[in-house]
Amino acid sequence: MSAVLEKVRTQGNEARYGAIRIDDVVKIYDPEGAAVMAVDHCTLDIKAGEICMIVGPSGCGKTSLLNAIAGFHDITSGAIYMDGEMLCGPGKPKADPGADRIVVFQNGALFPWKTNLENVAFGPMMQGKLSKKEIIEKARSMMADAGLSGTEHNYPGEVSSGLRRRVEIVRALMNDPKVLLFDEPYRALDSLTRSVMHESLLDIYYKNKVTIFFITHDLEEAIFLGHKLVIMTTRPCRPKKVLEVDIPHPRDYSVLTSPRFRELLEETASVVHEEARKSFASGEKEG
Amino acid sequence: MEQVERLLKRTLPFQVVSPETLDGIAEISRHEVFKAGEVIYGAGQPAEEVYVLVSGRVAHRIDPDIKARVHEKELQVGDVFGWAAILEGEKVRLADVACIEAAEVLKIDGARLLELLRKDVNFGEAALKSFSQLISQQYYLPPSVSERVPTTLSKVGDTRTPASNEAEPQTASAWTLTMYRAGEWLRSPDPYLMMVGFALMLGFWYLTVEVLKLPRFEDLPGLTTVVKEWFAEDPVYGMSIYTAEYYQHIWVSIRRVAIAFLLATALGVPLGLFLGWSRSFREYVFPVFELLRPIPILAWVPLAIIMFSGSETPVIFLTFLASFFATALNTMLGVESIDESYTRAACCLGANRWQVFKEVIVPGSMPYVFTGLQISVGVAWFSLVAGEMVSGQYGLGYVINTSYTMVRYPTIIIGMVTLGIVGYTTSAMVRVAGNYMMQWRLREMALGGR
Repeated sequence: MSAVLEKVRTQGNEARYGAIRIDDVVKIYDPEGAAVMAVDHCTLDIKAGEICMIVGPSGCGKTSLLNAIAGFHDITSGAIYMDGEMLCGPGKPKADPGADRIVVFQNGALFPWKTNLENVAFGPMMQGKLSKKEIIEKARSMMADAGLSGTEHNYPGEVSSGLRRRVEIVRALMNDPKVLLFDEPYRALDSLTRSVMHESLLDIYYKNKVTIFFITHDLEEAIFLGHKLVIMTTRPCRPKKVLEVDIPHPRDYSVLTSPRFRELLEETASVVHEEARKSFASGEKEG
Repeated sequence: MEQVERLLKRTLPFQVVSPETLDGIAEISRHEVFKAGEVIYGAGQPAEEVYVLVSGRVAHRIDPDIKARVHEKELQVGDVFGWAAILEGEKVRLADVACIEAAEVLKIDGARLLELLRKDVNFGEAALKSFSQLISQQYYLPPSVSERVPTTLSKVGDTRTPASNEAEPQTASAWTLTMYRAGEWLRSPDPYLMMVGFALMLGFWYLTVEVLKLPRFEDLPGLTTVVKEWFAEDPVYGMSIYTAEYYQHIWVSIRRVAIAFLLATALGVPLGLFLGWSRSFREYVFPVFELLRPIPILAWVPLAIIMFSGSETPVIFLTFLASFFATALNTMLGVESIDESYTRAACCLGANRWQVFKEVIVPGSMPYVFTGLQISVGVAWFSLVAGEMVSGQYGLGYVINTSYTMVRYPTIIIGMVTLGIVGYTTSAMVRVAGNYMMQWRLREMALGGR
């Protein structure tokens, strides 16, 4: 890994694609009936190649925002742009899902009926851009890079949950996405596995500069991984505090004990705690 | 010797092999003790034996020239090392292995071990496969090393060419897995409990009818009468395993069920898939479907006879109908059971609507489809007999019905038992076919200990 770190240090941030602009987005579920407001006039700028961590209590509406970017849901008003191009906005409430923005799901969505290799090869196979042979070769080499050699012919159900998450990220990267959207992917993992996953995610990030939109409710995870930290209000969700994490990348686990990390944690913990209390008081459910 | 076998059984590569092979391996393994600090072998030396750690602490350091993700590790009791002795190509030690504390090991000659595994038709390949897994997963070595483990049927090295690799290793391991499970079942108490169950039922029949002659039971044909009749060369009531008629009835019934079942599957699975997949299609069809489904098969009998001429087609129609509803409904539920993340993930990865259907909806609903098919085969037999009792000139249902009117009571029982056996067999065949087609599910469940 040290060679990679060195490369990152010398070359810096090289991503040119994947800047996301969320412009005054509102999402109301069931506008004619119950009219539940999930996202309230949310505006946010994410630079290309940035890791943007969205922190907020469970059920605050973060996932609605992610679904709007991915194109799973429409938005009620406002607009979302990627690299200056409108994904959704006036006249086009729902973005088209596409391989330039790939979601890594909360509970994992590797197809259990396909082997890990077939899963990784799935995107290019569907898009039909490369020949089958080229796809398999690329899939094998990307899996090898991520330390997944030897599990190609296992089914996802046969490997550990940590490995599964890694396979899922590799499956996304196979498509050269501009943005990766993470929906609390490590929530179901135990804290030890999670710490390993964090380092492996950073490792993968340093090799493939993509923009990362990462939803979590774990503040430490957010500060450890992110360039930018966005703390959301509880439902309806709106950025309450946006913060640049000035700990230099590449990072490793020693960051967790650094004084700056502690300072940032202290600075943000009370804000998050306040929102969590509000959320708890209003009795929000998961979602 | 027994102790050696027990230890071998705990190691990853040898836990699957057959008892005979295990005996063989135990026979060729030699016990050896090393003192603390002593070197067991060094990198670059010729590799002849495979080792198993029995006790003590041993450090394993892979030659830095070899691209491993982790170079040093401490071995645990039960770990297998020195597997370089079974690799294809140059057999040279790839690591330095030395004792941290005094250690006991088993030494197994590599060439003879390979010979033994090659002879083990059912499990040898699985053992070799776990060797290559062991190399990549426990010793973190790249495929260039793990793929040098030879295999009995096909060379693992071939997996480099992607075109040919997919089907072959999987079918072989499916067979080994099935055999392994069958072996485990025979070793467990289950088959013996099953025998006890049968014995209790038969004993109850024998006692109530023939020995105690309880009221309500006394007129029934007894166990011994039925068994004698069934296996008689010259049966009193005209039907036993020696008469051609018996097989004709069985054959006719099986043929009817087979035709009806295949038709029901061919129509029911696609219908169920579309019902689950397309909302508008469902709006059209599902209400009609739900209205027809609860109508008992017997209520269809008059219509079946009016619609179809002869005695064959009405029976097949009735049998088909029941199967069809069960299959279509379960398939639809299967489509509904698919987690939305799967379809969303497929959309993200660039699949169009048709590809989502083919790659996600169809395989994702398979577990439910096969449950549906098992139910479907069961209800097919059920409605077949109903149909055969009403119309039809051959078949097991017909036998049961006519034997009653002609007072051939033992023949009724023969017909019933035969139905039970044939019905169970067909249902088991569907289950096996399902397991075979859903390797992913079988392996997942095997890991879950089910």
